[in-house]
Amino acid sequence: MEEATLSFKARAERALADPTLKIAIDRTTGTAERKRAVAMNQFPQFEAARERGKRIKDHVIANLDHYLLEFERNAIASGAKVYWAATAEEASQIVVRLCKEAGARRVTRVKSMLGEEIGLPHALDEAGIERVETDLAEHIVQLGGDRPSHIVWPSMHRTREQVSEMFKRLHRAPHQEETIEAMVDSARRELRDKFLSADVAISGANFLLADTGATCTVTNEGNAELTTTPPRVHIVTAGIEKLVPSMGHAIAMLRLLVRSATGADVTQYTTFHCGPKQAGDRDGPEEFHIVLVDNGRSRMLREGMQEMLRCIRCGACMNHCVVFRQLGGHVYGGTYPGPMGAVLTPVFDGLEKSRDLPHACTMNGKCQEVCPVAIPLPTLLRGWRDRSWREGLEPTVVRFGLGIHTFVASHPRLYRLGTAIAVRVMRLFSRGGLVKGMPGLGAWTAYREFPAPAKRTFMEMVKDQENAR
Amino acid sequence: MSAREAILNAVRGGLGHRTVDPAALRREADALLEDLPAIRPGLLADDLVEAFIARLVTPKVAATAERIADASALPAAVARYLEARGLPAAIAVQPAAVLQALDWAGFELHDRVAPDETLAVGFARWGIAETGSLVFHSDAETPILANFLPLHHLVMVRASTVLAYLDDYATATAGQRPPRNVNIITGASGTTDIEGSLVLGAHGPRYLHVVIVEDVPPA
Repeated sequence: MEEATLSFKARAERALADPTLKIAIDRTTGTAERKRAVAMNQFPQFEAARERGKRIKDHVIANLDHYLLEFERNAIASGAKVYWAATAEEASQIVVRLCKEAGARRVTRVKSMLGEEIGLPHALDEAGIERVETDLAEHIVQLGGDRPSHIVWPSMHRTREQVSEMFKRLHRAPHQEETIEAMVDSARRELRDKFLSADVAISGANFLLADTGATCTVTNEGNAELTTTPPRVHIVTAGIEKLVPSMGHAIAMLRLLVRSATGADVTQYTTFHCGPKQAGDRDGPEEFHIVLVDNGRSRMLREGMQEMLRCIRCGACMNHCVVFRQLGGHVYGGTYPGPMGAVLTPVFDGLEKSRDLPHACTMNGKCQEVCPVAIPLPTLLRGWRDRSWREGLEPTVVRFGLGIHTFVASHPRLYRLGTAIAVRVMRLFSRGGLVKGMPGLGAWTAYREFPAPAKRTFMEMVKDQENAR
Repeated sequence: MSAREAILNAVRGGLGHRTVDPAALRREADALLEDLPAIRPGLLADDLVEAFIARLVTPKVAATAERIADASALPAAVARYLEARGLPAAIAVQPAAVLQALDWAGFELHDRVAPDETLAVGFARWGIAETGSLVFHSDAETPILANFLPLHHLVMVRASTVLAYLDDYATATAGQRPPRNVNIITGASGTTDIEGSLVLGAHGPRYLHVVIVEDVPPA
């Protein structure tokens, strides 16, 4: 059955039953968590930098109309063409139209989560344009015919063994030796001539610089520059929240972004593009197009979710999320997984289709703690839960259960009786301090134990103490 | 209504009624970049070139570095590099006047960087001590692909152009017309896309060697 048509619960069950997925998730997120911790130890200024980063983004968001117009004016002055897209469909249609106008047969693409968000890979495939993903992880995703499962490591759900098998089957001159180095080399050989023969390059942006109209992209592989330089046409798609006033502000944000994402101090390649090829330049595109995409962002401003517009897409929240690390990214069903995805997906897909996501959270607060721009993710998730309840989207069984709970909790005698029975029944099923299975508790104990409750309830113990006095 | 108007209206609707004074906004934006030492890491040494080199050779950046007294010593440094690795003396040299003026006798020079070029010699406009980065601007002397196609990238940078922080680069170029491409390059190309394991030479160079020319008279 197709992943997208399954319920969240069914997708989660499938993910939990997949033994290699857990290994793959642990290998990548574990490394990411360790490297970030080391980077933070070496950056005692992090807390101050994070507060500043938060203020920079808040300043831009509070004056977004001004910065959008300043960016547009300067980008046009640099020779770029600027387009505005209110929805995902509009955005991908603009890009496909530009590709067709350029007579593009082959398009190379740099990983961009916004590209995924607006359905660009699908739109290009539908239009019959050959799409070459050049980021190694996106290349693996494309060969595997599936979707990204992480915003920084899109093919994190694949083990090296799976990647090796795909490369051997699909590359023209695949690796002979079973090492990751040899596999990376195989992809290098496979993609090299494609970089140089593409008609159009499509990339995203980490930042848009209002004062010059430049875009900023960070990568580690060098695929972005190899993609955006040879073709005659370069198209950038970017969300309207990506603005910063100037390069100085982008630099302050980069220090936070890279350490939070990979634990490096800076990515191997930080590139600013400003307009097309200039007079005398040795290489570069003749046309430079920038598509500014709203797709729900202005609605977030209206609906009290402006704090989420600070997000710089580092992925730290998912690397540190206990739920994400059990399930991986596909289970979330949207472009963006993990805590930030659980906040954003209801914006893009509607809460009625994604009401499970805000519930897929233990409220341990770890995501907010590691967020480089201090987004109160648990609060935003709680906001969705609240709205789901108010709009009547919670299923009958939940409403009924909560109704019973409300009744019992507001009748103290009944509550005490109920809990007194419950702890005694649960203790009957406990072995060595843990409940490993019990009728009615299967959904919990199928994947983890439940700690056995104390012998007596809290209220009973209070009463004992009062009587003893 | 165009998408542009629709988006701007929606944004303004979300922000509520207010007047924007561009001068006040600029002051507010500038204030966000005050007291930079509080929000950026320290350098690895007091001397900028030492700090730059120390950062370049950290395992995170994984580049190699050497210092030469004068640009005329660069061809000899390139020859030593090639010899130490058993590489042929067939190289591409970036069409920068400062490099083209050197004596490359004994080398087979390629006009253009080939897709499978073994080694290209480049010239960076600035070095950044904070991160061990090199900064390139696209122009008539600087083809961007030359920084990405070769397997070995050997880059000369002048000691006098090593800046302390990335912010100093932004300040140095503020108000100028930006080039099509600013490439800030830190170490060799790398990927962690297969199981988070770092492998160098993903699409760009696998090796980066930086040669610093001492053009600053000793204090």
